[in-house]
Amino acid sequence: MVAYPGAPGGARSLRFLNQPRGLAVEADEQGTPRAIAWQGRFRRVAAILERWRVDDEWWREEIARLYYEVELEGGRRLTVFRDLVAGGWFVQSYRAPALTREQRGGGGRSR
Amino acid sequence: MEFACIQVPWFGIAIARRENPRLEGRPVVVGGAPEEHAEVTACSAEAMAAGVAPGMSLRRALALCPGAVFLPLAASVIRAEAERLASLLRERSPVVEEVGEGHLHCEVRGLPALFGLGTAEYLAQLRESLAGATGLPVLAGGAATVFAAHAACSALGLGFAVAGDRGGPRSSIVVVPGREREFLALLPVEVLPVEPAMHQRLRLFGIERLGQVAALPLSALQAQFGPAGRRVWELANGRDASRLQPASAEARIAVEVELPGPAVSQAALLAGSEAALGRAFSDDALQGRAVRMATWWAGLEDGTRVTRRLAFREPTGDPRHALFVLRSRLETLRLPSPAVSVGVELRGMCSEYAHQQLLWSAGQGRRRELDEAIAQLHARAGEPQVFRIVEVQPWSRIPERQAALVAYGS
Repeated sequence: MVAYPGAPGGARSLRFLNQPRGLAVEADEQGTPRAIAWQGRFRRVAAILERWRVDDEWWREEIARLYYEVELEGGRRLTVFRDLVAGGWFVQSYRAPALTREQRGGGGRSR
Repeated sequence: MEFACIQVPWFGIAIARRENPRLEGRPVVVGGAPEEHAEVTACSAEAMAAGVAPGMSLRRALALCPGAVFLPLAASVIRAEAERLASLLRERSPVVEEVGEGHLHCEVRGLPALFGLGTAEYLAQLRESLAGATGLPVLAGGAATVFAAHAACSALGLGFAVAGDRGGPRSSIVVVPGREREFLALLPVEVLPVEPAMHQRLRLFGIERLGQVAALPLSALQAQFGPAGRRVWELANGRDASRLQPASAEARIAVEVELPGPAVSQAALLAGSEAALGRAFSDDALQGRAVRMATWWAGLEDGTRVTRRLAFREPTGDPRHALFVLRSRLETLRLPSPAVSVGVELRGMCSEYAHQQLLWSAGQGRRRELDEAIAQLHARAGEPQVFRIVEVQPWSRIPERQAALVAYGS
């Protein structure tokens, strides 16, 4: 392969934060998490506080995730998601996306 | 032959295969483990044949090529190997331009005659010497113009069929002077040094060879691609007046002092070092500037050297300060045999930094001090150590797209 001499070389200087981390989850037949391996042992999911789906970037490499905000036994709260494209469970803190200028003007809501 | 192009195709992969020959012939993907949410930075021809491409996610690469070997990105190793290849070529040519990692252009005008060799023989020997010294599969192309040399070498890298003298694949090729246009006509458009998107667009138009590009009207290419269209038309027609732009070499000052007699004591080493530092810091090339780093060495009786690298906490132009730093490094030094000489090499020259207190506000000064300290830290480590958090796509619904770390000062 021939390197393009004028290609920008700085793209690798960006390190994206909040990358998802894989974790082991026991789920029931419906795919709802029942226990999560956290700090060395499986902990029962005491409550599912919220559930939402994110579908995005279908035009290049599809992202489809089912997020769960759960409370583990002992009171610890986590946000986990199941990757609906490649499979697997991940933990990732979730911050609601900021409103764009148009959304702020129109009073729209995200998530 | 005026110019030569030296390339190691799939540079990162070639290094990995040299270290581990069992990877030969297997699909290899560089970027990390497949479960990491990172991108493919390099991949072998075997992985590319399965649909893997640089820039795609590692999990997608795993889906496309489950049998691939996934390797972590060793950017510092790749950079060090690229610098080694460049320095080896600089020993063989007066003008060297680094186009990319494992991709170099150099001037060879008059060199074959100097060694009493034919151009093809000279280029083959140049290639063999580089391949022998690095252990990497080096390819070489030579021609009267930079682009023709680049295109010839790239064609070899792309696996373009060029029959070897012994029937096998060729590793070096020289374009006959005056027949560049004829030679280039057969080559694929991928040898053109333009964005990959332009290669794709040319292929969508059914233009696959440089001969087809050369046969098009200039106005048609300009209308479609703008200035890049004119450039590729000229290159395809063998018109290339470009010259190499070598990177300016980093200035270094090296001074070596012979000791009066073989010595092992710290006092004797420090006395010699003080003399060497004094001479080095008063060198005209320094012109009152400061240095970030120094390399100290002791030449031993048996012909070997013991070296120590000194990275100053902040740039210094004071030999006494450098000696103070060196003294602490020599306290624990035990030489295997007596030293007959000591020397220092100063590098990383920069403007001197003064510590004058500000009368009213330290705000601006503090900022400069911080910037300078971070620049020094980066220089010591060889790569960025301090980062800023920037919002990239705060409106994204994908959490990992929202914010990123960027090297401080970039």
